[in-house]
Amino acid sequence: MRINSFIVFVLAGFMLSAQNYDFGKVSRAELEEKFYPTDSSASAAYLYKNRSTYFTYQQNDGFVLVTKIHERIKVYNKEGFTYANKSIPLYKTSRDREVVQGLKGYTYNLVEGKVEESKLKKDGIFKTEMSKFYNQTKFTLPNIKEGSVIEYKYEIQSPFYTNVDVFEFQHDIPIKKLEAKFSAPEYFVFQASSRGFLSVIPKEDKENDKIIFNNKTRNNGRYTTSTTYSTDEVSFYNNISTFDLSDVPALKEEPHVNNIRNYRSAMKYELSYTSFPNSPIKHYATTWEDVVKTIYENPSFGNELDKSGYFESDIDALLSGVSDPMEKAARIFNYVKSNVKWNGYYSKYSSSGLRKAYREHTGNVADINLMLTAMLRYVGLDANPVLVSTRKNGVPLFPTREGYDYVICGIEAPNDIILLDATSKYSAPNVLPFRTLNWQGRIIRKTGSSALIDLYPKQISKNTISLFLKLDDAGSLEGKMRSTKTGHKARNYRNKYNGTDEEQFIADLENKFDGMEIEEFAVSNSKDLGKPVVESCEFSIESQADIIDDKIYFSPLFFFKMNENPFKLEKREFPIDFGYPSDDIYRFNIILPEGYTVVSAPKSKKLQLPDNLGSFVYQVKVNGGMIQLVIDSKINVPIVSPIYYDALKSYFSGLIEAENEQIVLTKA
Amino acid sequence: MSLKNFCILIALLISFLGVSQDQYYSSLTLPEALTEHANAVVRLSEVSVEIKTIDHMVEQERRIVTVLNSKGQNAVGARVYYDDDVKVRSVQAIIFDAFGNEIKKIRKNDFKDVSAVDGGTLYSDSRILYLDYTPISYPYTVEFISETTTSNTAFIPSFIPVWSYFVSVENSRYKINYPDDITLRKNEKNLEDVDFESTNYENWKQVYNIKNIKPFKPEDHSPSFRNVIPKVMFATNEFNYEGVQAEVDDWNSMGEWFNNNLLNGRASVSPETINHVKSLVANETDDLEKAKKIYQFVQDNTRYISVQVGIGGMRPISAMEVDKVKYGDCKGLTNYTKALLDLVGVKSYYTRLYASPSQQLSVDKDFVSFGGQTNHVILNIPQENSEDVWLECTSQDMPFGFIGDFTDDRDVLVITPEGGKIKHTKKYKTEENTQVLKGSYSLSKDGNITGELEMCSKGIQYDDKYRIGNYEERDKDMAYKKRWSYINSIAFDDIKTINDKDSIQFKEIIKFRANNYSKKAGSRILFTINALNRSRYIPDRYRNRTLPVKIKRGFIDADEIRVKLPSGYKVESLPKSTVVENKFGSYKTDIIAESDTVLVYKREFIVKDGSYPKEDYSAFRAFYKEVSKLDNAKVALVKISNHEN
Repeated sequence: MRINSFIVFVLAGFMLSAQNYDFGKVSRAELEEKFYPTDSSASAAYLYKNRSTYFTYQQNDGFVLVTKIHERIKVYNKEGFTYANKSIPLYKTSRDREVVQGLKGYTYNLVEGKVEESKLKKDGIFKTEMSKFYNQTKFTLPNIKEGSVIEYKYEIQSPFYTNVDVFEFQHDIPIKKLEAKFSAPEYFVFQASSRGFLSVIPKEDKENDKIIFNNKTRNNGRYTTSTTYSTDEVSFYNNISTFDLSDVPALKEEPHVNNIRNYRSAMKYELSYTSFPNSPIKHYATTWEDVVKTIYENPSFGNELDKSGYFESDIDALLSGVSDPMEKAARIFNYVKSNVKWNGYYSKYSSSGLRKAYREHTGNVADINLMLTAMLRYVGLDANPVLVSTRKNGVPLFPTREGYDYVICGIEAPNDIILLDATSKYSAPNVLPFRTLNWQGRIIRKTGSSALIDLYPKQISKNTISLFLKLDDAGSLEGKMRSTKTGHKARNYRNKYNGTDEEQFIADLENKFDGMEIEEFAVSNSKDLGKPVVESCEFSIESQADIIDDKIYFSPLFFFKMNENPFKLEKREFPIDFGYPSDDIYRFNIILPEGYTVVSAPKSKKLQLPDNLGSFVYQVKVNGGMIQLVIDSKINVPIVSPIYYDALKSYFSGLIEAENEQIVLTKA
Repeated sequence: MSLKNFCILIALLISFLGVSQDQYYSSLTLPEALTEHANAVVRLSEVSVEIKTIDHMVEQERRIVTVLNSKGQNAVGARVYYDDDVKVRSVQAIIFDAFGNEIKKIRKNDFKDVSAVDGGTLYSDSRILYLDYTPISYPYTVEFISETTTSNTAFIPSFIPVWSYFVSVENSRYKINYPDDITLRKNEKNLEDVDFESTNYENWKQVYNIKNIKPFKPEDHSPSFRNVIPKVMFATNEFNYEGVQAEVDDWNSMGEWFNNNLLNGRASVSPETINHVKSLVANETDDLEKAKKIYQFVQDNTRYISVQVGIGGMRPISAMEVDKVKYGDCKGLTNYTKALLDLVGVKSYYTRLYASPSQQLSVDKDFVSFGGQTNHVILNIPQENSEDVWLECTSQDMPFGFIGDFTDDRDVLVITPEGGKIKHTKKYKTEENTQVLKGSYSLSKDGNITGELEMCSKGIQYDDKYRIGNYEERDKDMAYKKRWSYINSIAFDDIKTINDKDSIQFKEIIKFRANNYSKKAGSRILFTINALNRSRYIPDRYRNRTLPVKIKRGFIDADEIRVKLPSGYKVESLPKSTVVENKFGSYKTDIIAESDTVLVYKREFIVKDGSYPKEDYSAFRAFYKEVSKLDNAKVALVKISNHEN
């Protein structure tokens, strides 16, 4: 007896603390909760999030991928109402499509102490055909109030079993309890790769399973026809990964992070090979070699590199009389850029063949850059495709095909690889569009071997500004300006300048600098990518100095000074991405107003970021009625680890302070 | 051939070409006057609308557009919207190179067919067929042809030759035909300075021709684009809307038709809700107090969801449905609020209008039609001896009777059982849009400042800020760092916001500090005394201002800041007190040295709403420029020392 009551006691205690996560078993405590216990700023939270993805065999359709979703969400305040709307994208091709089944949803509210439930009805479910490639099912739950608990479940059946959606373990709201399961028959071997700061390790199991085939055989006898039924059974096992997480904190968007999903915790399963009984192994990807092989063997990739018939005569004509290989490369690069325009789509595979793209003068990224590679190879250059994961796509850490979404071209030169991207008008050799500057790419050689190459530019992009200035005693400034830009700074400038009406461009400049008036504006090399862009003009601008009694105060950088610290957050968890190393040099010669002498001028100084990440040099020389100022501000690396955030923040603060220091003049 | 003869031949050739429409396919024939500041030129646009019967309208469109650069691509407008009611009969596009040679033909199946749902909309049956074409070079020309049919004749397409900035028009035509038993009305706008003719020819009862419109350029502080472009609106007295026929010729009869056909019978709610709302107001005798309770109830119990069915679907979902699911769009939520107000005996009217924060667009008093005139619904509570009350029913946090810049100060259609009426929504007058700032800070000799402030905002200034109150801590911190972004390294030790919905004011109480606020210059310290409310905005300069000046809403800022100076320094120079007054507003500052170490800075900046001719723009800009300069006025301190250097 004593033992029994002890057990009852323990069980009761257990029941009290344990949540019931069965569908529909929303507790009063959940409804009464006013804020998320460990994050009171959360507008909503997943109380429970369950996903199970597994394979079933259907005799007519073969293997089908099933994903079951069950989510319970607490809405704490009005900001959280958006979580009552849910959207499910469903992929389709001309033959197959994903479908949603068994959608059920309820809203629970506490009304005068009673739990009231409202059911999701048909009028809250909306199905939309978004485009040729996907449909969307959206639903919204009824009766949402502050404090509501929402619960819904549904199942997605997908014929696209090589494509398992990412398991996401972290969101912009916290998760109290998360369970997930991925189960695949032994025939399907998946490569798992995780990402995010929060590490997640699944529990691995095996479980026996079987498929029963129903066979129907017709026996045509002489006088009668009979049908016999039989069943076959195939036994196999499933590989199962399960995840069980509690109290996953929210991870919200931060400024200057290009893709927050890179940092949220998630697990991706990608099919590496299939191995069915009595069939040869079919590889998808397990190692980088496999990934490369699969991509290379895709007819929309490797095959395209060997075809040259469609362009031979044009290229022969283009290169007649040219023998220098680099000259050949340059001509082909420009030829592709001006003849085949990018249609805005990213892809590592050609969409409908290079021949067609060539004929129609337009294509996706792969059409253009694979064509460039094929042409370069045709004239005997050692050119190879380079797979890239764009900034939007994130960073590929593990061997996956989908890790890459873009392709560029690399020419192998002694000790170096020259990278080319012909989709962007103003990109030059080794000056790639910003979208591709993301860690490392993978070059695929003809032999089938591949290697990682750094995509971040090593070369420093420079902007050198020279100014001759004349300050008058009313604080107005007249000057001549000349700036020279290289690398990415030149590319940015060209994009902007060449895309704008010059008159508008000048007006924009004048308005940017609050009433500056510009004359003699000229730009050279705006289209000649081989040379730096040079911009020059003459200008005048008022109110550039404070005149107080008989003294004049001004910052010698005038309107070029930096006023705002780009880093405002108190702390930062993610790398700071500058995209490319840069160097800004200012050389100013300032003629002072007649009859004034310098009372005080800032001292020369130097600021240094740790580990040679960057430096700032500020030199002032007073020379009679003239002030000479030289500033050299460098960021030597494209990307900075967040451990340097504080250093970076105070570096910029120091830089701004130095740039704002005043020169004081007095009437002699 | 002599030169003269040659010229005549060329002239003949050109005039001959002028007859052919093929001239529009080549970019070489572009009139030079139309390419200046243009990203695209509409060479020829022909819209023909044929109302065959009251429930059958056919719209044909043919448009030839030369695109001059990548920014002109949108001007092609090669897209058709359709839905359950509007059917696309045909659509096609042909691309021509600069010389007018055809280079590509795009048929219906090659147009992209996608849902026109935007991110904020849960469902819409609206879809778009659009041309997805990557130009090979500029200029190029697109000819776009489409034909749609619909049974709705409530929205007759307007004649709008120009629909975006930086686009010029060479030729634009609009033709409309209709049966004799239908009466067509039209309304011409901004045709005064336009080369146009209005006639009838062949079998078309009404034809408009417009030629040679130069591109419009956006300009700061100008009337809205929609109000300056040439346009002709059309409507018929008799029309069919979703199977309901109407015969109306003014707003009164339109309102009556709307009320009887689209609103009536959609007001019932469940008995529980009836009991609940009645008990809610049981102790209230005043109608407005009752309305306040009901509005609060709606805000607490419903949420906004956008569901669009049919272009401009105008019938609200029933109050019963909203009562059940507790969500709705602007129509559904307004109708629901009205139904509840009816229950407690408070009179209110369903109101259609054009909502937009950046432009106050009125419904045209004298021209009754729905096409493009309204896009939103709010609720009107009429008052006998005071201003009417307006309720925005899609917001869960707006104070009772506050509508903000989304729907303020414009003519709207109020629908009553007796018919439609045009009323004007609440105007937030200059003196109502106040921001009062009181604060203090002390400056250390190292140049650091610490201080606190209290800012109270009302009217449109309340609308600009109250949402900050809902931000999370991190986002609040960011918002204030942005507001004072000109103070390098500003940090906040305490941020408190109070959203007082009863008196409709938003209070911000903030403790702040910043390093190196002042500038060092040898033994002197230089600092801008106006640390907390600097006007830094200078309107853009235009070499050639073309549009009149419009200041949509006025405001008053009043500041009073006490500044404690560092010991060991004395004031060397103080900015002078200033008074700037002009027709746009006024600016006054005053600095009083309360003691050797305390300065009091007072500032008042008023900008009034109003409309002025374009010639006034430079004076208006100069006013802002002057204020920006004066807001930067500096105090110079100098070290008190026996060994001054």
